[in-house]
Formats: sequence, structure tokens, C-alpha cells
Amino acid sequence: MLEHYAKKASFSFVLLTGLTVISALLGYLMPMAQTVTASSLLWLVLLTVIIKGWQIVDIFMELKQAPKLWRGLLLGYISILPIIIGLIYWL
Amino acid sequence: MAVNKPKEKVLPGDLAMWFFILAELTVFAILFIAFAVTGKLQPQMFSDGKATLHPIAGVINTLALITASYFVALAVSALHHGRQQKAAKLVLWSMLVACIYVVTKLWEYHALGEAGFGISTNTFYMLYFFITFFHFMHVLLGMIILAFVALKANKNGYQDNTNGFVSGAVYWHMVDLVWIILFPLVYII
Repeated sequence: MLEHYAKKASFSFVLLTGLTVISALLGYLMPMAQTVTASSLLWLVLLTVIIKGWQIVDIFMELKQAPKLWRGLLLGYISILPIIIGLIYWL
Repeated sequence: MAVNKPKEKVLPGDLAMWFFILAELTVFAILFIAFAVTGKLQPQMFSDGKATLHPIAGVINTLALITASYFVALAVSALHHGRQQKAAKLVLWSMLVACIYVVTKLWEYHALGEAGFGISTNTFYMLYFFITFFHFMHVLLGMIILAFVALKANKNGYQDNTNGFVSGAVYWHMVDLVWIILFPLVYII
């Protein structure tokens, strides 16, 4: 059981690390991009934020097995806030 | 015939800690929205301000907090299996990695200060210093909590009830979760 969780957490850790590097690279490209491409890059960066947040909430915080209300609140936060930020910059 | 009962859904840690986390997340959400709105209203000031930051330091800090959270998650798992000393050791590793964040952040503040930028320079720096320093204080508080639970676990203090340890861990993950949004907002977008 410990091994099983360690494998899941390790997968999340690798995913989180990879997505951090990817978002940093996207950020590097952003100032050079045209308007349309820049907004696509913006949404891609925010998508990495949402995926990372879901990993932290479900795996690290172990809310996947928690009551739906609490899991929903945290997942809602990490999904809606980046979308609000994206809309502010995009509109 | 054996009937498989559905697994009971349990909230990890203390309920009070979750309410505290919700309050913290709300405050950070307001600050993030304020940063984004001000950035939208004053694009040139924010673009010039962001150009003076160090994105590599942001990446280092993100990786440090993610790694620290990973060790804490493994520590909670070890604790659930009765391996308290191992849990304490993993938390210690987590704190050591978190020190990378502390040192990098202090270096960033020092470098910006040396370059002549401070909280009163303009709205960008005011918000930058306020939000990142507010988060920095949360990291320090998280490290104090982790030190406390590690010491207790090292003395086998979580034999009957692991709620205190798990609550500390959940608080630490919240600090990480906030940085996951803060990093692209301040350094990338």
C-alpha cells in the first residue's frame, strides 16, 4: 500500500516538475509571440497551472478520497482562479 | 455472501485546518485578481517591472516547493503505516529543500533592493513585494509547523491520532498550491 502511494506521488512529482519547466519555456516564448500566439501561450500556461493544482489537491492533499464538497471546493479554486486570471488578461 | 461496503470518504486532518485553508486561499485569490487587474490597467509598468525579476529564481522556488511537498506527502504515507521515525526524516528533508526557497527568495529581494527597486517604487513593486512576502511568511510558518510535527513524530507522538501531523502536511500543500498560481502570474504571464 505504501509502495502504491509512493508510486502515485512520484508520478505526480515528475509531472509537476515537467509542467513547471514547460510553463517556464512557454513564458520565455511569450514576449516574442504575435498577439494570437501569445494568448494561446497564456492559456497553455494556465492549463499547466490547473493540471498541477489537481495533482496537488488529489494526490498530495489526498482529497480524491475526501467528501465531494471539500474536494470540489479545492478543485474549483484551482480551476476557476486561473480562468479568471486568463480572462482578465485576454479580454 | 460478503458485501463490499463503499469506502468511507474521510477529510484528511482537522476540519478547523480546512476552514483556515479556505480563508487563506480566499485572501490569496483577492490578491491575485488585484495583481492581474492592475497589470491589465497598467501594462507597460507591469511589463517593465516583470523584466527586472529573475524567472530562473521563480523556477527554482517552484521546484523547491514541489519537492518539499512530495517529501511531505511521502511522510504522511509513512505515518499512516506506523513508521513515525521515517515520517520525521522525510519531513526534515522537506524542510531542507524548503530552505532553498527561503534563500532564493531572500536573494531575489536583495538583488531587487540593490538595483534600487522597493515597495514604494510603483504599483507593480508594491504588489510584487506584498504578495510574495505574504506568501514567504506562510512558507516560514509552514516550516515551523513541519518542525513541530517532525519532532513529535520522532518521539513516536502520533501513536493514536495522526490528525495533527496530517493537518500540518495539508497546510504545507496549501502553501505549495498558492505558489503554483503565484509563479506564472508574477513571473510568466
